[in-house]
Amino acid sequence: MSQHPVIVGGGPAAMAAAIELARHGVRSTLLEEASRLGGVVYRGPLRDGVQLDYLGPRYSEALSKLHGDFQEQAGLIDVRLHHRVVGAEGTRSLVVLDGDERLHEISYPQLVLAAGCHERSVPFPGWTLPGVIMLGGLQLQIKSGVVKPQGPVVIAGTGPLLPLVATQLHASGVSVVGVYEACAFGKIAKESLALLNKPQLFLDGLSMLAYLKLHGIPMHYGWGVVEAHGEDELKSVSVAPYSATWEPDLSRVERFEAKTLAVGYGFIPRTQLSQQMGLDHGFSDDGYLRANANIWQQSSEPHVHLAGDMGGIRGGEAAMLAGKIAATSILLQRGVLEEELARVRRDRYLSKLKAIARFRAAVDRYTERGVGQIALPAADTVICRCEHATRADIDRALEQGVQDIASLKMRTRVSMGDCQGRMCVGYCSDRLRQATGRKDVGWLRPRFPIDPIPFSAFQSLGTEAVSHE
Amino acid sequence: MTVHINGQPVTAAIGETVLSVIQSLGVRQVARNDHNQVSGAYCGMGVCQCCLVKINGRHKRRACQTVVREGMQVETRVNRIHGQEAP
Repeated sequence: MSQHPVIVGGGPAAMAAAIELARHGVRSTLLEEASRLGGVVYRGPLRDGVQLDYLGPRYSEALSKLHGDFQEQAGLIDVRLHHRVVGAEGTRSLVVLDGDERLHEISYPQLVLAAGCHERSVPFPGWTLPGVIMLGGLQLQIKSGVVKPQGPVVIAGTGPLLPLVATQLHASGVSVVGVYEACAFGKIAKESLALLNKPQLFLDGLSMLAYLKLHGIPMHYGWGVVEAHGEDELKSVSVAPYSATWEPDLSRVERFEAKTLAVGYGFIPRTQLSQQMGLDHGFSDDGYLRANANIWQQSSEPHVHLAGDMGGIRGGEAAMLAGKIAATSILLQRGVLEEELARVRRDRYLSKLKAIARFRAAVDRYTERGVGQIALPAADTVICRCEHATRADIDRALEQGVQDIASLKMRTRVSMGDCQGRMCVGYCSDRLRQATGRKDVGWLRPRFPIDPIPFSAFQSLGTEAVSHE
Repeated sequence: MTVHINGQPVTAAIGETVLSVIQSLGVRQVARNDHNQVSGAYCGMGVCQCCLVKINGRHKRRACQTVVREGMQVETRVNRIHGQEAP
């Protein structure tokens, strides 16, 4: 058994936790599935020497500070890239697939789970066409600094990521047709006061809007996607004004040529591991499942800590603070810090987290999905890509009286494919909650392995077990 | 280094993903799933399983999560169940 705390993830929460532990002389093991650290928010370029000027000076500063701080402590952090945690054995050990596709079991005295989140999909006719891509994935492509997305680009969805990505795309030389924010401007303006809890982010937002205006990129509030068109791949996009509840006004549809349609509707925590470990969970106001943590970032199992977006979507800055709190708790549990000092440190991080929480709550309120979104897909629109379940399949199941996600899965096969429902869970949950009027319609239960792995991977686990005996 | 996308030699850089090499060719249609549906990269971060390609004879490899290696043979739009050849 490893005597060191283990950290799952390589994003800002995980990195901050590892840095904090190392600063107190505690070595940790960090498991990251990607080839680079930084997560999605602070991923550096794929190639060395690439300048990412177009991402803005404040971003570059935060990026280099996090990676710089990490580098300073690198001697005490055992970083394992290309390591994918595919399961959990209770709350004492993890099943990990390494870069050579061999399975290992790694046990831990303390754990920080910082698995992050993935994007929420809102299906509409044509959303499965090649060329329709999620906003965060598109941003990763810009950040990788290698290949620019194909323009012209239409950006649609809701949230502060829309104008940000539009700005970054334009600055990197890609043509942006327009940005379509589904929520009305008035709804955002109403949240101004709450958004001022993070004055710098608010100002950054305003300067992005000014930038878009200066460069003639139209920003439409209260507009959204109706359909993506194309035979084999995306050719054009239809948009229309949305009502307050996201019903498109089909008498005012406008159609634009586009090679790329980037869609962003917020995020869903990655709870596959925390669910498999049997930790406590709850639902957010946005309807997603998240793992519950106390003010020490401890889950229902005190030695298992949660940090970052898997405990609720709050972004990169909050993730780093939560990572530091989790590390502080571990330092207390290991007797490295005394309780009084640990408490003072925790409270300092908590007070910063509170301002972010108020800011995020305002974002959540204005980006709330209108009920009209569930009627956007046509009967033959595929909802579950992996198992090819359509909206008509889901409609039929609901008509037959299905009340929860587990039953919907059995009726329609949604979530039984390779992605285990990560792409369709948002829509399925919204449909069920709408149909039943209940807040809790269940959530998709992950199955081992939580990511597909080759059969050959099990050979190493077998021999490892034998050699131990 | 050189990798092959559907037999075509392409120059790639160390650290680059298979997906970014495919994208550098302007190709948007990447994978063919078990239901014979062609898809492009969608989530871009290893979650959606929409950029599965055949690499060095092995099916269903995530292009966005695989770092290129010298001489890699990549085939797009191939699926074991639907035995179509990539054009």
